[in-house]
Amino acid sequence: MSHASIAQTTAQATAQTTLASPIPMTTTDLELCQIAKCYGQQQVLHDINLSVKAGEFVAIMGPSGCGKTTLLNIIAGLEGISTGAVRLRGQDITRLPVNQRNTPMVWQHFALFPHLTVRQNIAFGLTLGKHRQREIAPKVQTMAGLMHLEELLDRRISQLSGGQKQRVAIARALITEPPILLLDEPMSALDPHLRVRMQGELKRLQQTLGIAFIYVTHNQNEAFSMADRIVVMNQGRIEQVGTPAEIYTQPATHFVAEFVGNNNLFDGTVIEVNATTVTVQCPQGKIYAHSEQNHAPGDRVTAVVPADRLRLTPQPVPAQNIIQASLRGCEFMGSQVIYWLETATGYEVKVMRQEAFSDSLALPINAELYLSWETEDTMLLGERG
Amino acid sequence: MTRQHQSWFRHSLAASGWVYLALGYGLLMLPILTLVIFSFETSRFPTLPWTGWTWDWYRQLLSDGKLLQALRASLLVSPLAAGIATILGFFAAYALNRFEFPGKKVLTILLIVPILVPPLILGVAFLGLLSRINLQGHLHSILLCHVVILIPTAIALITLRLMQMPKAIEQAAWNLGATEWQALWRVVLPWSIPGIAGAFLLAFTFSFDEFVIAWFVSGFEPTLPVSIYNFLGSNLSPALNAVGTIVFLMSVLLLIGVELLLLPMLLAQPTKSEP
Amino acid sequence: MQIPFTRPQASWTPDRASRLKYLCLVPVVLYDSIFFLLPLVFLIWIGFWSVENYRAVPGFSIANYSDIFGQFFSRSRYAYAIAQSVWVSATTTLLGLLLCYPFALGLVFLVPARLQRFALVLAIAPFWTSYILRLYAWQTVINTNGLLNTVLLRLGWIDVPLQIIFTQMGTRIGLLHYLAPIMILILYLVLRNIDQTLLRASENLGATLWQSFWRVLVPLSKPGLVYCAVFGSIISLGDVLSGIVLGGGTGKSLLGSFPLFSTVILNEYAASTNLPRTSALATLLIAMMVMILVLGLQFAAVDE
Repeated sequence: MSHASIAQTTAQATAQTTLASPIPMTTTDLELCQIAKCYGQQQVLHDINLSVKAGEFVAIMGPSGCGKTTLLNIIAGLEGISTGAVRLRGQDITRLPVNQRNTPMVWQHFALFPHLTVRQNIAFGLTLGKHRQREIAPKVQTMAGLMHLEELLDRRISQLSGGQKQRVAIARALITEPPILLLDEPMSALDPHLRVRMQGELKRLQQTLGIAFIYVTHNQNEAFSMADRIVVMNQGRIEQVGTPAEIYTQPATHFVAEFVGNNNLFDGTVIEVNATTVTVQCPQGKIYAHSEQNHAPGDRVTAVVPADRLRLTPQPVPAQNIIQASLRGCEFMGSQVIYWLETATGYEVKVMRQEAFSDSLALPINAELYLSWETEDTMLLGERG
Repeated sequence: MTRQHQSWFRHSLAASGWVYLALGYGLLMLPILTLVIFSFETSRFPTLPWTGWTWDWYRQLLSDGKLLQALRASLLVSPLAAGIATILGFFAAYALNRFEFPGKKVLTILLIVPILVPPLILGVAFLGLLSRINLQGHLHSILLCHVVILIPTAIALITLRLMQMPKAIEQAAWNLGATEWQALWRVVLPWSIPGIAGAFLLAFTFSFDEFVIAWFVSGFEPTLPVSIYNFLGSNLSPALNAVGTIVFLMSVLLLIGVELLLLPMLLAQPTKSEP
Repeated sequence: MQIPFTRPQASWTPDRASRLKYLCLVPVVLYDSIFFLLPLVFLIWIGFWSVENYRAVPGFSIANYSDIFGQFFSRSRYAYAIAQSVWVSATTTLLGLLLCYPFALGLVFLVPARLQRFALVLAIAPFWTSYILRLYAWQTVINTNGLLNTVLLRLGWIDVPLQIIFTQMGTRIGLLHYLAPIMILILYLVLRNIDQTLLRASENLGATLWQSFWRVLVPLSKPGLVYCAVFGSIISLGDVLSGIVLGGGTGKSLLGSFPLFSTVILNEYAASTNLPRTSALATLLIAMMVMILVLGLQFAAVDE
């Protein structure tokens, strides 16, 4: 699996293919072109453009109600669209009925057939057409081997654990050797400790098969740990498409910066611009940022500072950016500590540090501390949309 | 009120509650017990004091033939009517559960309302129509009419079961390549089996017990309730008790079916199809 | 809100494109149209036919109705039969509610949870045995020289046999035995779905049992009570068997010895086989039921 095949300029690529002749692009497995969807007067999807390369793991992430599951249903053909087109391996499948698409899905609650055994569930997709019984059995056996289900083949669905059900659901979906696999929050019905293990297994499976996975989730950990590319959605629109690193370090919009959750956002006004540094006046004080974009004095901007780039010291240290704040509380997550602080202007700041448990206890609540960070760790976003 | 008073009050309330329940069960069971017990009594008039045990009434029942013939007619009409109503009801329930379309409310009302119309009215109405097209007076006339009043029962019970089916299960079948018919046949139908079986049992009972419509349209091929009614008018006979006991044994079988199929469905908490 | 109509397309979903709904619904709609709607329309129409030489003759004459209303208070006394029907069905329904509600309460609150299902099966068991046979059995119980009177006389509690059979009290007993299992089932389901923590909360807030009952339990079980009332009155109005087998046709009630309207319809047809006239009477019964339904709905609407 190479990560190099990730498309960077999705919008431009799709715009071209929309207008271009219908010659299939061999490397692109799935294309969504200018998709819009309305329920009556209410528009739930706006101008969705996305192309997914062969063998790519794409996570669609966003808050509930952002349209991510609707988008997945549209790819599967379970819901229609108002305008736009869906292409799978170059073929326009927009009007292809759901059962002729071969875009299998792994459901949130697995949707296994309760009256069938594990074997019958896995074989289901093969028993509908003209496959012969003796072709089916070895395929089911192979799939069961891949998903470690050999021992469970004759069990009933009600006798399975959550993790086993999920493996059956995946096996059932993959039996027809689809070009793509759709997953709708498949981890949300699992125990937390199982989730982490399944994330690893799922990623390995996807790399073994070499087919594209489209994975819908509201959980950032899942998206960041598995996806080659992340699509962040909000209110029926795509906010940003990018690698996990890009989403994390270069949020394109306020929504992404806030949704990703480890960023501190300071609103302010540009007061000075020189070759490399932009000075922003915020209620919390002056913030120096590094920016490649063009800003002019007077612009309303937001400075984005990742929580793990902040240093926390009892005394002022020499740094470009420094703000005084008092400690309001801490959370311990393994070796990581999250500090919540409040500035003099009542603004809440989040700091994440890798620290030994005992060190953090040394800081009393309401201690006056200094937050400092480097100019190049500060990113500027334009005015809120 | 002191705590002691209160607990005394509660205990006596619970005690009177138990007495009430016992009385209630006694009254509910009284006629059935009477039927069974007096079918073995020697005296022609079912009254006390007890005069002795006998199988005579069962023998008389078997030799008489009229009631038995009616029982046979009922056992032919009721399963057929229940079967047809259940099949029609299953497809209707499926469509009403899955699709949204204009006029759905009106259609639902049309399909449910036959059970709200008193059978007396339907009996006269059926007779009016059937006598015009010369279909009255036979077992199949009863069959045709009974299906109408059984359809609502079937739709209601099967809908109850279908509402407990997660929508994703059917979607999963399509998603894996099943046509709508394949999904209906291989996923929805197996899921609905408890509802279908329960609907069949209930429909069978309704048809087996239905008197007025059968009285109007049956003519010379009466079902069991009509035959019993005619019997009541002419002469009282403990042979009725014997029939009653046989019918009661049948209903015990039905009840086991109800216990296994219907109640679990009625008592199930409604499951959400989508989170 | 603007939608970019760059490539307009008809929306496609399995549900909308499906022809399955017609295949599923057409048979049942056809069946109900032919064997339910058509007979009902026919019934109302036949009510205007006349009988000549023992044959129903199509036509349009209001003779049946003028005849019926002409005899409304005289020979056939339909008015009294209608009054009797309404009286018996109302009192039966009320009695049913009063008797079944405590029973359902007992099932929910006294019977241990693991036995409740069995208790419920036992309570609805009578429903699955033949109604007419149950009425016959009640006859042997409440007869003048039946079980009840024999026992009571032996015990010396009464000197003369109680006259229950062939009165409307007999009719009510039969109807109640038919209604009770279903009323108990409905009320049980409604009561069981009431969150019992609400009762504990109400008690916790200082309500007495009596207050919790009236202010929490009864209002929450109102839907069940309404269903039962509608169901009970429709069944009682339309039933013929109990009124004949136990009520003796013209059973005595507080109103006097009048038959039920349903009994009148059945008996008139049995005696005359005059279908047009029977149809006219049945149409009157429909009108009655529609009126009761409309009144009931209005009552429910006012209550909301």
